[in-house]
Amino acid sequence: MFIELRVYTGLEKYLGISHGEKMAVAFDGDTTIRDILGRYNIPAVEVTAALVNGLHKTLDYCLQDGDRVSLFPPVGGG
Amino acid sequence: MPRLLRINMSTREAKYEDVPEKYLPLGGRALTSQIVCDEVPPACHPLREFNKLVIAPGLLSGTTAPSSGRLSFGGKSPLTGGIKEANAGGICSQKIASLGLKAIVVEGMPKEQGTWIAKVSPDGTEIIAADDLAGKGTYELTAILRERYGSKVGVICNGPAGEMMLAGAGVASNDGEGNSSRYAGRGGLGAVLGSKRLKAIVIDSPATYGVPVHDKEKFSVAAKKFAKILLDHPVSGTGLPSYGTNVLMNVISEAGTLPVRNFSNNGRFEHANEIGGESLARIAKERKGGRVAHACHPGCVIRCSNAYPMPDGRICSPVEYETAWGFGANLEIKSLDTIAELNYICNDVGLDTIEAGVALGVLMEAGAIPFGDDAAAIAALNEVGKGTPAGRILGNGADFVGKAYSVTRVATVKGQGIPAYDPRACKGMGVTYATSPMGADHTAGYAVTANILKVGGFVDPLKAEGQIELSRNLQVATAAIDASGLCLFVAFPVLDNPDGLPTIVEMLNAQYDLTLTTDDVLALGKSMLKSELAFNEGAGFTKAADRLPEFFCTDKLAPHNTVFDISDAELDSVFRT
Repeated sequence: MFIELRVYTGLEKYLGISHGEKMAVAFDGDTTIRDILGRYNIPAVEVTAALVNGLHKTLDYCLQDGDRVSLFPPVGGG
Repeated sequence: MPRLLRINMSTREAKYEDVPEKYLPLGGRALTSQIVCDEVPPACHPLREFNKLVIAPGLLSGTTAPSSGRLSFGGKSPLTGGIKEANAGGICSQKIASLGLKAIVVEGMPKEQGTWIAKVSPDGTEIIAADDLAGKGTYELTAILRERYGSKVGVICNGPAGEMMLAGAGVASNDGEGNSSRYAGRGGLGAVLGSKRLKAIVIDSPATYGVPVHDKEKFSVAAKKFAKILLDHPVSGTGLPSYGTNVLMNVISEAGTLPVRNFSNNGRFEHANEIGGESLARIAKERKGGRVAHACHPGCVIRCSNAYPMPDGRICSPVEYETAWGFGANLEIKSLDTIAELNYICNDVGLDTIEAGVALGVLMEAGAIPFGDDAAAIAALNEVGKGTPAGRILGNGADFVGKAYSVTRVATVKGQGIPAYDPRACKGMGVTYATSPMGADHTAGYAVTANILKVGGFVDPLKAEGQIELSRNLQVATAAIDASGLCLFVAFPVLDNPDGLPTIVEMLNAQYDLTLTTDDVLALGKSMLKSELAFNEGAGFTKAADRLPEFFCTDKLAPHNTVFDISDAELDSVFRT
């Protein structure tokens, strides 16, 4: 199974990809967002918003095949 | 004692007055709205002699309070027909306050043809005939006035759009480098200035921090504490200086609430990343003359501004999120260079970038020019400064374009264009758009905080529950912040840090020798809104004006397939408590 992972606003440094670049990430069985953070050494404390298919989820969300996962540190503006 | 300066354009006389006692505790939006309520007949024509343009620094402006350089502009809006306050950064607020002025009131209207400027300095105010400056773009105008009066002056001015009294015209002021890009953009107040035929107000003040402070020691302690609160918060301390406000583009798109293609039924833009803050910051670092972490006024510790180098060497400073959205995702344009060009034209011609972006979206919806056509968008916007019929239609805003082309998908409330958050998937923002006395204005009660950014708690953006209370509380708190002269971005730490609001109150108490509580400050916010709503009632507004355009309630927005479903009765309850 795969998810589409995108990271933004500085988190890209942990993955060695560009911000917003789509990355297919394979996973098996019960895998959470937190597990994915661990796999790439992304500190959980730096992730304020974990959007799955556009909806805020906790880091303990169990990934489903085909999920679009977008991770952000604290951001604001307006 | 601070004074009020009245610039009477009927007689071209300037007069200083003692500040009436009831105005002493007011500043910024609290003062502009109160003076408008007291002196402008709500039913008057906004472009005739009975309307006034009131300019007031916030209560903390001109002190060393961090990020306190906001300047409020108020009057009856030619765009909404209701009361308006728009505020801007730049260097003028601190200078006006340091001249001992609580407010400048531009009133009356010349019977003769002509163009004038006013020069305000410690020696007094002169009103000077300036026919040679008529029709100038704001960049050239500001450069001429800085050359004439010194490079440190502040220049509040109008572009040709304001002179033509177009309802999408904003009032420009400058940053420390002389860019005339600090806009009190919304609501057409540039047209009010244009109706007075006052092309510019030059603020010549030797001081930036010249406002007297009652208890300097207490003030200094509180100001330092407040600076630390701002710098310690990840949004105001790290995110905004690193990427600017346009850092929002990707998160709003990923959350599925980015208006795309004139508020179509898709809330994501596939090219969001190309026009977002991360890409902007990279270009600003790569090209000569680019900057991030740029402060729009002295003493701002947040420094969310940027300088975007355009391909031909001109600098557009800043490019903000709502502008990048309005000229980007909203028009299906995916080039930051094109966005910067459209932004620069607006700055020069004197247009609000949000209104211009929404208006161009409606023009594209009409089929007059294609979506995603960069050159056509630039050409259409360039017509405004020329004063052609097509340019005048566009410059009068989104509603006007919609009427001219019989387009029914027009995202406005009270005639003002809805900014960069689709209310179908960010419903708290929809409540603010619908109910703010200012018309559709994201800054009036920025529910994106709790809906999307998880600042100040979390309220599910797709559900109706909790949005009324969220918007109400934010509108009250925002009104109070708009009175203080603090940048609204202090709200990010203030919403998360319980010491935030009490520290603002400590600064106010130390400055003015008061014993205010946080409740008093919020009561001020409530009372301001009450006055503004009463003005709008006098101007003829009914509950029917507090509604979103129909299509938001009928057409589902992907990817969440939601509509705006907060009932009329709930909307009417926002200000009932």
